[in-house]
Amino acid sequence: MNENISRLMDGEVDAQEFERICVEMKSPDAMHTWICYHVIGDQLRGARCVSPRSASRFRAALAAEPTVLAPAALRPRAAQVATAAWAVAATLAAVTVVGWTAFSMVDTPPTAIARAREAATVHAAQIRPQGDLPADYLIAHQEYSPSTSIQGLGPYLRAVAVTGNEPRP
Amino acid sequence: MTVNMHPPRRAARSAGRPSMRSLLAVSLTAAVVFAADASAEDATRWLERAAQAARTLNYAGTLVYQRNGHVETSRLVHLVDGGQEQEKLVSLDGPPREVIRSSADVRCYFPDAKIVQIEPRTFRNVFPSLSAEQARNLAQYYEARVGVSERIAGHWTQVMTFEPKDGLRYGHKFWADAISGLLLKARLIDDHGEVVEQFAFTDVAINEKVDRDMVKPSWAAAPPDWQLKQGSFGEMLPRETGWSASRLPGGFQKVMEGYRTLRGKREPVAQLVYSDGLVAVSVFVEPIALPAVQTGVSQQGGLNVYTTKYDDHLITVLGEVPPAAVRQIAQSVGRR
Repeated sequence: MNENISRLMDGEVDAQEFERICVEMKSPDAMHTWICYHVIGDQLRGARCVSPRSASRFRAALAAEPTVLAPAALRPRAAQVATAAWAVAATLAAVTVVGWTAFSMVDTPPTAIARAREAATVHAAQIRPQGDLPADYLIAHQEYSPSTSIQGLGPYLRAVAVTGNEPRP
Repeated sequence: MTVNMHPPRRAARSAGRPSMRSLLAVSLTAAVVFAADASAEDATRWLERAAQAARTLNYAGTLVYQRNGHVETSRLVHLVDGGQEQEKLVSLDGPPREVIRSSADVRCYFPDAKIVQIEPRTFRNVFPSLSAEQARNLAQYYEARVGVSERIAGHWTQVMTFEPKDGLRYGHKFWADAISGLLLKARLIDDHGEVVEQFAFTDVAINEKVDRDMVKPSWAAAPPDWQLKQGSFGEMLPRETGWSASRLPGGFQKVMEGYRTLRGKREPVAQLVYSDGLVAVSVFVEPIALPAVQTGVSQQGGLNVYTTKYDDHLITVLGEVPPAAVRQIAQSVGRR
């Protein structure tokens, strides 16, 4: 199933397969994978990551507009499967349409995102854990930053915030 | 800002006998270009004023710092006493933190951990020495505007915006006190128009009497049972390092290059600082101490960091620019 989702995202499935995978996608597990893959993709491309809080915002927005139906929005696209252009469209649609539906249906999207982040870290060995900013570098940098001159001690807050994250001795 | 709609070739052909329309178009273009230059110049002048005000005025206020949905409130007091600056920053929420800046050093007090961290003098007034070239760069890489007046923390302010013309820098919005020029609010905006980070006074007294006691640390300079930690970096020794970044975003120029000694390490760390006049990016190069180094981006508010490897060296690039910019710069660092 995971491989199918991956191929679907890459636009490598034909119309028939597309219908079948869409049916499989109705399971929360498949939805999780779908979200994970997209978040991983976004991470690898360096795109902004969806914050876990946006899930609740999506849910609220969706609740306010009960007429938004993802399958209806997706179906016309079935005719265009297997083209590169569609793959791009799929990514966008996935995040906007399917993503919305998924976030509203699946119970624990923040976990899914957390898992995806983890996966992205492992995959790319690229993303440093949050709060791991080198405070010393930051202070050494601020010495020559114009924003320090303009704002005085204000930017120092960043350094203090960072230092505050260090483990206690 | 294109007002002149004539393609250049057509304009050249009609050059012999300029029509009224083309004359009008040319003069309109000139007017618009002039206006853009004038507002860039105005905005730059306001920033220079703000930098000077931050350095030379007495002020005390409550400062709110916001980033990634996170809010921190602090008390900031600034005193100029006999030409010497003294500044105190106290966190009002979360664990108590205190930063005292004097002409000699910057001391951070962490009372819960009983630690005083001492950094060498870490402020240089870069902005007032903005070169003519950097000022031109600002106009070239940002759409600068001096906007309407707005009220912040009970003061009327002048709003300045610097909108980037490429995706390799953030947008900036500043609110400077109309009378003193002191910056009362500053905001960093990403390419989605979302606020990345914001500093703002919620109340501030400008040019009122500030007692020396108000900028004194709440503890002794070095309390006996506290741990005294010197910052890891020594002072910058300007000199050629042999390193450079080849793919800098447009308008970024080297403002400093040199070495810093790093506590506990034999080899000094090379630091190169590049600036577009509004923000700076630092490139740090050091021999790798750890066998494996995690590379990638990390972010805190408007500051992004990218770490990567180059041969046996660790490259750390850090600055008030978007993740894409620190990555591009880090990946272009090499020997000159």
